[in-house]
Amino acid sequence: MALATVRLLSFSYPGAPAALRDVSLQVEPGEVVALFGPSGSGKSTLLRALAGLVPHFHGGRFSGRVEIAGRDTRTTRPAELAGIVATLFQDPEDQVVFTRVEAEVTFGLENVGTRPAEIPSRVAAALDAVGAGALAERPVAELSGGELQRVCLASVLALEPRLLLLDEPTSQLDPDGAAAAIELARSSGAAVVVSEQRPERVLEACDRVIFLDEGRLTEDRLPDAWLPRDAVFPHGEPSGQEVCRLEEVSFAYERPVLERVSLQVGRGELVALLGPNGSGKTTIGKLAAGLLEPQSGRVVRHGRACYLSQDPGRYLVAERADEEVALAVDGDLARARAALAELGLAGHASRHPRDLSSGERERLALAAVLVAEPDLLVLDEPTRGIDPERKDELVRLLRSQARGRATLVATNDRVFAGAVADRVVSTVPEREAVLA
Amino acid sequence: MRPAAAAALLAALAAAALLAHRTVSVAAIAVVLLAVCLRAPAGRRRMYLVGAIGSGLAVVLVTPFVETIGSHPLWTGPIVPVLGQLDVTSEELRNGLFQGLRLTAVALAFAAYALLLDHDRLVQSARFARRSVLAVALATRLVPTLERDAAGLVEALRGRGVEVSGLRGRARLLSPLLAGSLERALNLAEAMEARGYGRPGATRAPRPGWRPRDQAAILVAALLVAIGALWL
Repeated sequence: MALATVRLLSFSYPGAPAALRDVSLQVEPGEVVALFGPSGSGKSTLLRALAGLVPHFHGGRFSGRVEIAGRDTRTTRPAELAGIVATLFQDPEDQVVFTRVEAEVTFGLENVGTRPAEIPSRVAAALDAVGAGALAERPVAELSGGELQRVCLASVLALEPRLLLLDEPTSQLDPDGAAAAIELARSSGAAVVVSEQRPERVLEACDRVIFLDEGRLTEDRLPDAWLPRDAVFPHGEPSGQEVCRLEEVSFAYERPVLERVSLQVGRGELVALLGPNGSGKTTIGKLAAGLLEPQSGRVVRHGRACYLSQDPGRYLVAERADEEVALAVDGDLARARAALAELGLAGHASRHPRDLSSGERERLALAAVLVAEPDLLVLDEPTRGIDPERKDELVRLLRSQARGRATLVATNDRVFAGAVADRVVSTVPEREAVLA
Repeated sequence: MRPAAAAALLAALAAAALLAHRTVSVAAIAVVLLAVCLRAPAGRRRMYLVGAIGSGLAVVLVTPFVETIGSHPLWTGPIVPVLGQLDVTSEELRNGLFQGLRLTAVALAFAAYALLLDHDRLVQSARFARRSVLAVALATRLVPTLERDAAGLVEALRGRGVEVSGLRGRARLLSPLLAGSLERALNLAEAMEARGYGRPGATRAPRPGWRPRDQAAILVAALLVAIGALWL
């Protein structure tokens, strides 16, 4: 008997067009199903429907039927399904309830009525399983994005659910961390439905693939653009007139992140910084852009630098999209609208940035830095949460504009780094140096 | 000391400040609480101390102009529509100082709670009204979360070459900070429901028992409230 059954499910959020249309699906016990689809195709909504959060938490128009372990989600609240179903949401920062790691993992176990004597051992086992045993007493606010994602994964694994729903669980993890997380979910024995934007990260571990497009389950195989690709790294040498140079730079937050790092980026050159979580990619990017000052060594910069942070859609301040973009060009709305048009947002100039979809917000944030025509453009994890087709578009856009500026991209996406860069610089995990 | 006992002591100090009748008593309580807050790391305590002391100062400054008590005028000013004749009496100044110190003491008690207590253990040790304790703990996190979000916004703007300075520049951040907080609150509520929050039959992980000094702290807290009401 199937663990989860979805029959002709259609759903619309209040006041919005249909997010899911006549979706039917079965998930067997222990099966691992990879769920792919472009941004906004309904992947997260389908996962929410399997958790009962749609329609209970969000409201909206719901038709069809979803059954989890024989329970109809229309008559069973999400909290009652907790323990049978466990959900890891897309953004780890928005799902943390407590301030310390151990308490965070304990929370779900207490809610589902786990015997008190069992709770400490299950918390410890879950943290050990994700390689976060040493973090148990750490404040959540001090964790890196990757560490936080592991802790959130431990929180759901500790529940020992029968159905595990993972919404882009590896978006902040480097390839090794991502492979370990997916393998951990697979070996937990639960049925797993995992939504991903990077097929290469889950294809080997899954039993079945489903693809959503505009709310419809279209096929049980991937379109060509989504097929995994091998990372092919270019072997370029530093070139072009120098725009930015880091000389023997060191930097520490509470502990050393960079020690005696050197790097040069020239005009017309597109350099990818590739390395695992915590290896200092973001810090190098901020030093290059002038957002941080080195504690030793020096940074030489010629011309204007712009920096686009991770998750840029979160950091928009204006009331209209064109005003947001115009901030970087002294309020020049004509230039702002031209930049919006270049990124396919021409029809959105007067909309509030928070009314845009997540993908549109990211493009808006990109337009807000490109409009300034910087001499040095620094992008931090620009492919986080974007699908392969949009990733290809980003590669084309950056390549088409590369000639006029120096571009530095910090990423743990090897395929993207290989496709976009003239030169790939890897940061070593020991944080001792940068290998040029 | 267990966080619940420490929270009881802080609440008692705040209550004593509200119940005390003498300015010097309230000032002494405020100084004690200030000393407690100074144990927090400098970077974290700054915003709380500025808020607590700033709001107290504002009350000290405004009270003489909006109150009309006392018969010993120190200054007589013009007649202002709505407010009437502005004047400052020595009684108004004393009362302003008293009320300002009260507010500062209560705000410092909250600051000490927010900065120094382990809110997780406080929630986990709550034997009743656990939902309310959790709501207060989540609300307490709002300040550092807003600080972090504001820093992210400032950095994002600096990344575009836009410097955030002055009152007007910072005011620009208010609307996105509010919108971000609302989004975050909705996402958190959804995640909590998905993890079974609010369903019947919840259990609690084992906790260490109360030690004598925790029980003593509760006794001292009760005494502080009584002393504040009767003798201070």
